[in-house]
Amino acid sequence: MNVNEKNNAAVPPGSREYLTFRLENEEYGIDILKVQEIRGYESPTRIAHSPEFIKGVVNLRGTIVPIVDMRIRFNCKLVKYDDFTVVIILNLRNRIVGIVVDSVSDVMEIAPDNIQSAPDIESAIDSACIFGLGSVNDRMLILLDIEKLMSNVDMGLVAAVD
Amino acid sequence: MAELHQEGGGGADFDLTQFYQIFFEEAGENLDQMEQILLDLSLENADDEELNGIFRCAHSIKGGAATFGFADVAELTHHMESLLDKLRRHELTPVPQMVDVLLESADASRSLLSRHQTGEQGEAPSTADLVRRIAELASGGIPDVPTRLPSQMPDVRTSVAAPQLVAQASAQPSSERASGERRLLIQIGPLEEASSADVIKELFRDIPGLGSIADGVAEDPSIRSFQVTTSASDGDLLDLFAFHVAKEQVVITTLAPDLALSTPPSGEIPYGFFPDAPGSPGTAPLPITVQAAVTDGGTLAVNKAVPSKVSEAKAGTQAHVESSTIRVAVNKVDQLINLVGELVITQAMLAQNSRDLDAAVYQQLLAGLADLDRNTRDLQESVMSIRMIPMSIVFSRFPRMLRDLANKLGKKVDLVTFGEATELDKGLVEKITDPLTHLVRNSGDHGIEMPADRLAKGKPEHGTITLSASHQGGSIVIEVKDDGRGLSREKILRKARERGMDVSDQLTDAEVWQLIFAPGFSTAEVVTDVSGRGVGLDVVKRNIAALNGSVEVDSSEGYGMRVSVRLPLTLAIMDGMSVGVGNEVYILPLSSVVESFQVNTEEVSTVAQGSRLVKVREEYMPVIAMEKIFQIPRNGSGKSSDIMVVVESDGSRIALLVDELLGQHQVVVKNLESNYRKVPNVSGATILGDGKVALILDTSSMVRRARH
Repeated sequence: MNVNEKNNAAVPPGSREYLTFRLENEEYGIDILKVQEIRGYESPTRIAHSPEFIKGVVNLRGTIVPIVDMRIRFNCKLVKYDDFTVVIILNLRNRIVGIVVDSVSDVMEIAPDNIQSAPDIESAIDSACIFGLGSVNDRMLILLDIEKLMSNVDMGLVAAVD
Repeated sequence: MAELHQEGGGGADFDLTQFYQIFFEEAGENLDQMEQILLDLSLENADDEELNGIFRCAHSIKGGAATFGFADVAELTHHMESLLDKLRRHELTPVPQMVDVLLESADASRSLLSRHQTGEQGEAPSTADLVRRIAELASGGIPDVPTRLPSQMPDVRTSVAAPQLVAQASAQPSSERASGERRLLIQIGPLEEASSADVIKELFRDIPGLGSIADGVAEDPSIRSFQVTTSASDGDLLDLFAFHVAKEQVVITTLAPDLALSTPPSGEIPYGFFPDAPGSPGTAPLPITVQAAVTDGGTLAVNKAVPSKVSEAKAGTQAHVESSTIRVAVNKVDQLINLVGELVITQAMLAQNSRDLDAAVYQQLLAGLADLDRNTRDLQESVMSIRMIPMSIVFSRFPRMLRDLANKLGKKVDLVTFGEATELDKGLVEKITDPLTHLVRNSGDHGIEMPADRLAKGKPEHGTITLSASHQGGSIVIEVKDDGRGLSREKILRKARERGMDVSDQLTDAEVWQLIFAPGFSTAEVVTDVSGRGVGLDVVKRNIAALNGSVEVDSSEGYGMRVSVRLPLTLAIMDGMSVGVGNEVYILPLSSVVESFQVNTEEVSTVAQGSRLVKVREEYMPVIAMEKIFQIPRNGSGKSSDIMVVVESDGSRIALLVDELLGQHQVVVKNLESNYRKVPNVSGATILGDGKVALILDTSSMVRRARH
């Protein structure tokens, strides 16, 4: 209902909703449709010989789900696990993956006009995985193509895109 | 032909009857589906997909019916199929009459099937009229509308039609009803070479019980005429003849018992009208272009009356044979199994957490938990049993295969099976069929000797292959045993050396027999020159190992060979042994665990490269420290690995070094790769009683890695 009302109101067409989360001081947005649920962090079962940012696997109601710590992947300085650590469970191409972030902040609607293409910047991740920078009330959101990021070979999670 | 097949089937050693039930169910479903699509079909713009759907239904029924020898059903569906084929290729446009006749045919098929299902009681409804109408529609014509009314509109017409039906049915030749034997005039032609129809006579000579045949008189030299006394139905005869002459060229007419010599009534045969009384001499020229006009002698009304009367009677009594099974998609069952698995875990968690509760205070809660425990286990067992199917499904394919093989090779082989009722997981049954087929064929091909050789060795002329299945603990053991020539130790060793394998004469028999499973080491090369088989024994072994199973060979030269395949009952649940290393828990498949013991440092010796060996009962085996290969952190807990678990795979053993043994339990095997990827040395994952994930070790790959 809510969505309909919004659509009828002054929301430009083509707007999409993004779930935003924080990694240190940076704010990121991912397509809300890829998000299955948000959970607290529980210590996963470690898997030998996996990259450092893959924390292991957890039991999500009977499904074995790998957990990626985005803070390690994005080279954050402070990585701690406490009662407030949050895991976003993503549903990508029928694969389920959990990502650990510092905090989940909001769900935001961003019109295409408010998204500008990302400059070719140097970062911890392939810049192709950032599809734009969104601006909402003077806040900058780094919009991630989470599917592309997770299917990146160096993530070693999802089968490569055909 | 159904009757004939049935008789023949009794004598043959391949029994199809056990599949009848499945066929009846499938055919019933197909008919339902066909009916549904037919009813929804819009004639103006019929959807290709729908037409194909109907065609597929008819085609499946036809295929099944032909396989099982229900020729009447096969014939009817064959005609339906021809019509539908033309429809789906847009050679014809659908008209309401087609839908009507197809629906009626579906009903007729149903009652024919239910007659077969209930053991062929009562008279088979005649489908001749339906066949004729279908053929007519298929050739682009529209049959007379009134001809379908008696069965089509019972509510209006029965009152009118009924007296007529009764009267005319009784006019049917009494000889047919009484003894089942009928006298028929069969005319075949026109043929270019009239004598080519004489093969028909041979049929009667060759098939016992078919009846007698004598030459008849024919006016036209291109037409052969025979007088036949038989109890087979027209459809059966047509089917028999179909191998020699086209159906369209055969005209069968029933003769009155006393009127042996008469030309068939004809005239408006394409419309099936026979106004003359049965057997009354006709004067019209012989029918030339009859469209499979099988007439039952009486008038058309009788033809229609019989099926409609029978099917009405059936509707009350047997048309709806209660279906005792439901077909369910496998993934639904798997989902159920998964959910029950979760329930078992939750239950285990509750049990664990309630252990320390005061029994006096929480008596009711604990009693409830005990009930829950029992019910969960029962539920799990029942759910698992849904996937279980008997081994007879696999075994039943072998008699036929062996028979063909024996015929081809000129051998005499008997097959004996035990334990067909032993149940096995559906997934396993599918995967075990090919390896077993290979083993059985191997026994027949290489094991059993030629009859003369067997007699010379003082063995009975017939070789025996024994297939047995039994439950042993948590696994199923399937044995393929033959009393043939057995394996020759010398030949295998020689062959192994030729292939450059490092073998010594000191190998035990069991080790020598394992050599036949080496890649490229086929027994064909060892024992005979017969080859050209698809897979080698190495593939058999690999397939079985992939199912967590094992293969053992036992043989005595000159006396035979026995291959035992041991498999877990199901792939979804496994008996596991949990071991602790550091703070982590790993699961070992119990089937691969041989023994475990506490180790003293002096029993472990080091070889040059630093790999360690331990001596267990005069055998040195590599030591694998779990801590090392799984990079398990030691957070200064002070624990150290001093327990060895000996695991075996493919006949080789290694010793795994762990901290502690935690226990044995059944674990639900979960796929790690569905959301993650393949992890070395890990075959899957499971969820422990506390909800945590534990990895299941892939012992066969660990052994392979350590040994090579």
